Amino acid sequence: METTVRTTHHAEAAAAFLRDEENVDWHNETLWFVRSKRDKAATLLPEWEDLREQASRIKNHALSRLDDYLVELEKNAQQNGITVHWASDAEEHNRIVLDIMRQHNATQVVKSKSMLTEECHLNPYLIKHGIDVVDTDLGERIVQLRNEPPSHIVLPAIHLKKKHIGDLFHQHLGTDAGATDPQYLTEAARIHLRQKFLLADVAITGVNFAVAETGGFVVCTNEGNADLGAHLAKVHIASMGIEKVIPKGEHLGVFLRLLARSATGQTTTTYSSHFRRPAPGQTMHLILVDNGRTRQLASPDFRNSLKCIRCGACMNTCPVYRRSGGHSYHTAIAGPIGSILAPNIDMKQYADLPFASTLCGSCTNVCPVKIDIHQQLYKWRQVLGEAGAVEPAKKVGMTGMDVLFSRPSLYRFAGRAGRRLMKLFPSLANNGKLNPWAIHRDMPKPPAQSFRDWYAEQEKK
Amino acid sequence: MSRERILSAIRQGKPDLQPLPDVIGFPSNIADADLADTFLTMVKTNGGIGVRANSLDDVRAQIASEYDLTLPTLSHVDGLDLNNFTPTENLRLLDDLNLVVLEGSVAVAENAAIWFNEATLGIRALPFITLNVVAVVSARNLVGTMHEVYKRIDLNTGFGTFIAGPSKTADIEQSLVIGAHGSKTMTVFLMP
Ligand code: SF4
Repeated sequence: METTVRTTHHAEAAAAFLRDEENVDWHNETLWFVRSKRDKAATLLPEWEDLREQASRIKNHALSRLDDYLVELEKNAQQNGITVHWASDAEEHNRIVLDIMRQHNATQVVKSKSMLTEECHLNPYLIKHGIDVVDTDLGERIVQLRNEPPSHIVLPAIHLKKKHIGDLFHQHLGTDAGATDPQYLTEAARIHLRQKFLLADVAITGVNFAVAETGGFVVCTNEGNADLGAHLAKVHIASMGIEKVIPKGEHLGVFLRLLARSATGQTTTTYSSHFRRPAPGQTMHLILVDNGRTRQLASPDFRNSLKCIRCGACMNTCPVYRRSGGHSYHTAIAGPIGSILAPNIDMKQYADLPFASTLCGSCTNVCPVKIDIHQQLYKWRQVLGEAGAVEPAKKVGMTGMDVLFSRPSLYRFAGRAGRRLMKLFPSLANNGKLNPWAIHRDMPKPPAQSFRDWYAEQEKK
Repeated sequence: MSRERILSAIRQGKPDLQPLPDVIGFPSNIADADLADTFLTMVKTNGGIGVRANSLDDVRAQIASEYDLTLPTLSHVDGLDLNNFTPTENLRLLDDLNLVVLEGSVAVAENAAIWFNEATLGIRALPFITLNVVAVVSARNLVGTMHEVYKRIDLNTGFGTFIAGPSKTADIEQSLVIGAHGSKTMTVFLMP
């Protein structure tokens, strides 16, 4: 296959993010702080590891009977008075939403955080068709006003400092120039968004968990925006990926204990709302979306990623994500899990992402549903390499390593030569132009003696 | 049709049957004697105010001293009539509400989440649209964990929600701000 794909998107975008060093440091430290809060919350539960195991097994089971559970969910939801729709791809999902809006002559919609609608690019679609769509999660509203996508699935505006938000609100919401107090800015957003909630015809929410047994679904927020929208609007549309279904209500206990602890270190989200039937006079729609998920399910190597409950823990812990910012991933879901999901949707466009990882395994260690994230990223590299989608420069380096590792004597010679060379010309190894692995990395000082030589000497002693 | 296409793709691609774990959940780490204290501590951690009360009269007195009851108030707790507001069909008018008083049916000590079902809410929007929420919970209805609470609640209700404190956000530089879109305060009265 031809190597027509540029796999440097992520690296280039990360380089741009890295230019503002102060911001990068803040981003890095803040996310690490969130990760530490997760650790504290996890260690407070002696059964944490067993809880992860249980969650993982429930999800494995649910995926192994996904068809049955979706049919059961559909049947029960319909019995409850919810209209159920199926969408094969993003386009169909968006069309269904627009059709519902048109049926109700609706022009104003409030949306709560839903990574699925981001994945489907619903906002630009609705706007193009004359619908006024307002994101109501504070972080999402901030990035929407900036015409940007969220940079994190739980903390959408984590790449911004309060001065950015102060300027933005001054411009759009008329707050005082130069104001940066989060309390003041949040209050301004509250007043602004309250008007939107009160006027909206339709509310769109995501779905954290759908329960086959009850035909209902659960939406978790800290701000209460999903509820405020859904209960005030005449029409509630909930969009979910088909992998979100779990068998029974009792399984929610397992997932709700893990979700907030993994996401922010809270013991629970402030609101965990269970929708099962529309309120009198209201209408409820549930859209079940595939958009590549059945393809992922059919791949034994990658189906594990469908267990994801979108807690964001893998991003917060990822040393690459923390220093490159979510936008560098140029996909709706950034970070380690996004880098597994995106190439399944478009292998060419996202061929760079499985390489945006150190494969350190930290993501795998924190994942509440035990997805083998770093191993899947490694597998993607192989798949992409075979498909010829790997950046040529790094590939040469890797092919070279392949040759080296498979010939022990050459490896020994190269080691000795390399140490000599690095000592004599350290700038050579550190030169990013000649050695792409040295960009933003200082290569280590070569040791005086190789491990092999040292070991041989010890043997002699 | 997409439905058939999706279902048949699943059937072709799904893995072999994986069994469910035999037992779901774990025993609580909180001793029965500590449920109330743990719960009240967690209410505070969540940004709420947790207070013990001996009777509904006690609750009424404490509410009267904390909140201005001349402002629009609605109580759905039996025996605690504080209503001075009549909701109409038009839910948008609920935006005037200053205080809503509700009875929680079950509450979880490990995270201070309180369950409200449709029957106790009356109107679903109430705890989200009001400026302040008061919850009344009986210590007899405390359980340790989320596993236990799902054995106690009926998910066949049209709508039900766990609420754990006032609404909050940390979307501006990770500074915690209480009072995002939902209520700005939540006071929980723990009754015997
Ligand atoms: S992959 Fe795991 S850690 Fe990452 S968002 Fe999903 S559930 Fe959380």
